[in-house]
Amino acid sequence: MMNLWTLFIPELYCLLMAVVFFGLAMSATPNPRRDYFAALFMAGVGVVVALASVRLEGTLFFEAYRVDLFSQVFKVMLAMGFFLVVCLCTELNGIEERHHPEFYLFLSTCTLAMMLLVSSGELLTIYVALELSSYSLYILVPLRRGDGIDVEAGIKYLMVGACASAVMLFGLSYIFGVTHTTYLVEIIQVLPSVIGTPAAIVGLLLMLCGFFFKLAVFPFHFWAPDVYQGAANQVTAYIATASKVAAVAIIMRVVALSGGNSKYLVDVLVTLSIASMTLGNLVAIVQKDMKRLLAYSSISHAGYVLIGILSMSASGYASAIFYALAYLVMNLCCFLVVVKVAHDGSDLKIAQLAGLHRRSPLLAMALMLAVFGLAGIPPTIGFTGKFLVFAAAMEKGYVTLVIIAMINATISLYYYILVVKAAYLMESDEELPVLPVSIPTKVLTVVLVTVMVVFGVFPHHLLEVARAAARALM
Amino acid sequence: MEFANFPYLSAILFSCVVGLLVILVIPAERKMLIKWVSLVFSGIPMVLSIYLFFAYDKAQGGLQFVEKVLWVDSMGIYYFNAADGFNLPMLMLTGIVLFTGVLTMWELELRVKEFFAFTFLLVAGVFGVFMSMDLFFIFVWYDVSLFPMYPLIAIWGSTRKEYGAMKLTIYLLAGSALILPAILYLFVNSGLNTFDIVALMQPGVFTPFQQKFAFILLYLGFGILAGVWPFHTWSPVGHVAAPTSVSMIHAGVLMKLGAFGVLRVAIFLCPEGWQYWAQLMAVLATCGIVYGAFVGLAQTDLKYVIGYSSVSHMGIVGLGLATVTVDGLNGAVFQMFAHGVMTALLFSSVGYIYEKTHTKMIPELGGMSKIMPVASGYFILAALAGIGVPCLASFWAELLVFIAAFKTYPVRGALAICALVVGALFMLRVVQRTFYGEKNEQFAHLPDLTFGPGIPRMILAAVIVLFGLFPSVMLDVIQVASVPFINGLP
Repeated sequence: MMNLWTLFIPELYCLLMAVVFFGLAMSATPNPRRDYFAALFMAGVGVVVALASVRLEGTLFFEAYRVDLFSQVFKVMLAMGFFLVVCLCTELNGIEERHHPEFYLFLSTCTLAMMLLVSSGELLTIYVALELSSYSLYILVPLRRGDGIDVEAGIKYLMVGACASAVMLFGLSYIFGVTHTTYLVEIIQVLPSVIGTPAAIVGLLLMLCGFFFKLAVFPFHFWAPDVYQGAANQVTAYIATASKVAAVAIIMRVVALSGGNSKYLVDVLVTLSIASMTLGNLVAIVQKDMKRLLAYSSISHAGYVLIGILSMSASGYASAIFYALAYLVMNLCCFLVVVKVAHDGSDLKIAQLAGLHRRSPLLAMALMLAVFGLAGIPPTIGFTGKFLVFAAAMEKGYVTLVIIAMINATISLYYYILVVKAAYLMESDEELPVLPVSIPTKVLTVVLVTVMVVFGVFPHHLLEVARAAARALM
Repeated sequence: MEFANFPYLSAILFSCVVGLLVILVIPAERKMLIKWVSLVFSGIPMVLSIYLFFAYDKAQGGLQFVEKVLWVDSMGIYYFNAADGFNLPMLMLTGIVLFTGVLTMWELELRVKEFFAFTFLLVAGVFGVFMSMDLFFIFVWYDVSLFPMYPLIAIWGSTRKEYGAMKLTIYLLAGSALILPAILYLFVNSGLNTFDIVALMQPGVFTPFQQKFAFILLYLGFGILAGVWPFHTWSPVGHVAAPTSVSMIHAGVLMKLGAFGVLRVAIFLCPEGWQYWAQLMAVLATCGIVYGAFVGLAQTDLKYVIGYSSVSHMGIVGLGLATVTVDGLNGAVFQMFAHGVMTALLFSSVGYIYEKTHTKMIPELGGMSKIMPVASGYFILAALAGIGVPCLASFWAELLVFIAAFKTYPVRGALAICALVVGALFMLRVVQRTFYGEKNEQFAHLPDLTFGPGIPRMILAAVIVLFGLFPSVMLDVIQVASVPFINGLP
């Protein structure tokens, strides 16, 4: 029994974190520095714990919970995302000081829920985990100190999320009706043989809707721009990175259920992918707010990552895993700059980036690399991710899809360049002071930049890990 | 022998990358130090590339100075550099233009550190494309060489610089949006699971249909950068907006990257597609030659004049490639080299005149040869080379292309030759209006080019004359690659 519980250590550790912050939230006097360092330390240890348990394998809770390389790799990514978001919380000005422990508490529960999600091997477990992560975020979004825009964003998020959940539950009932089981291992044996029937395909698609909401895939993307803008910068960073990574993982698990031989499913995913890319990129062009721009860019990236998933091959899943990691790093780098430039916790207009090259050359360079990475320009990890995804799609013969995706990448370049232009070319009207960038922030920036470039140029080892994880999935 | 295995090609590449890193570490205030560091790290590639050009064993032929390391196992990606008769002239050209470009920007004061950092990034990409024999790396280096153009033009440029920079970047990266699917298409359909060009170019790897499909994507994708008509419109705008050394590198080297990509990727991998689409290539190239010459006639801005003459001259390269003959290939590669040096000298001279007079409008200048005889001399020399005056490098290149074109496509060849006369007319008209006639008293006090700043122009002028007098030095090397290639065609 003892060794079974070791499988559950990363999740238990997250639970412990939640408990600790629950205790801190009880204290009468707010102490942001204590909260920050407690969170930083615990999140750092969390990454170590997740890394240490990466090789574990087994099942728990009557086979409802699967621990394999696939889930463990994603848990490492989630722990890293959590840690990096906490790193950005040195000046958590967007949230009132007395709410700081709650902020960390719900980040912990959300991370816990996502870790449960990537390991779930049973439909109801999936649903419960998904709801736990969503409810944590429903609370985090309106936590922002401000003028009501946060509440609007929170309600919008809740409404769209509740609808997506309802649709998903409906889908789950179809799947259960068709296969008479809620266990994924049993579904995967039954479903491929009946995937041609309307009930199975409709059930699978409706079920995917719940996850598409998380990933902000068209047509479940409406919440993204408002929530990105309305939530505190750090919360947005978390939603934009860790939450997306978990969504990619669970979509892969569900799509893998189909066995890879459903033409309908592929057609629907191709359509959604193209719609997401095109809509995200076109609307992003006119954005003036940096976080809204990143929201629309995330919608288009959801489209790119779907290309890897809909290839439904080992290399396709591996490329999607690689892409998720690349996206995590690049987006966190963008949010690092957003958080540092808007250090009073306000929203960041793109025009406010003016003069950044003078105010902080390091941040300007990091932003340029991250943004070019998002656009898919080598030698960054973003290019390597796109390359792998497109190669996987090409293996399946989706030439047109790849060409459309590349045209989209070119369109996206325009607004990414506008960001670079603001940071490198524009000069602000009034003389702005040099941005104070602390040594730890500098170190963090350099580490992120190094990861982006080094894994872009030497993807070999990371790719091997992604391939091994994809094999565990199939 | 140990020295024979020295990785010269990687040394060229690393010298650019190390130069970039060193510049990033130096504080931005130490401008003089940054310039000297740039000079040293741009000198090394020039010396090495010239050494390689002359050290290449012509009797042996084939790929030499090969460096091959397995990069990504599961996808068959190799770090694979090699030199042959096609890329040696290009490497030498890049070395020379980079070095002279750095010297030309010696007077720069604005954001020096970033300027040279971006320049080295760009040139590392250019060298990478020219020396790489792996499709993956060719694409990576190709994109690396493109995106620094945006800040380089938008920050240090002139005349509608933001528009020019954005237009150029989007156009060129739209080209790469066609190239990547084509590369992946070839990779997947070869069934060899490798990006190694030498393995992929074996006969019978691709069916004729695959070759035709991939060729047209690659030709259009790379062709945008080569300024193929009607995708050339970014080129004059971008050249006008760019600062002097960036114009030199861009028109001199980067446009050749497009033509070289057509040769190395499209023609090497899809020879049947090449023969199939050659007619179209010839039509587009002829259009470019004629169009460039006539539009150039109407320009009043010196840099626009050079920009359109580039379109016209790159059309000659395209026409050479379209002939599918040894002479055509020789001429095309020679023209890439000759045009690169010539345009670099033109932009460099205009840059000096603009720096002193703050105008590049032809009607406002006039009689410059009386005010700045030396600076004018360089421009006139380069202009004469562009017209194709014998004993200057371009003459031989154009001669070869036109002989080949006249044999293969008599009508289009004849049209192109007529356009060349128009081109000569417009260049001479520019020279006459700008450098002769009444001198503009307003500029009479301006100093002429002195010895120090004249060094980069001297180097470029010397190269033009040298290869004009001894074309066989160049042709013998290209011949080693082109003859076996044409003979090996199916």
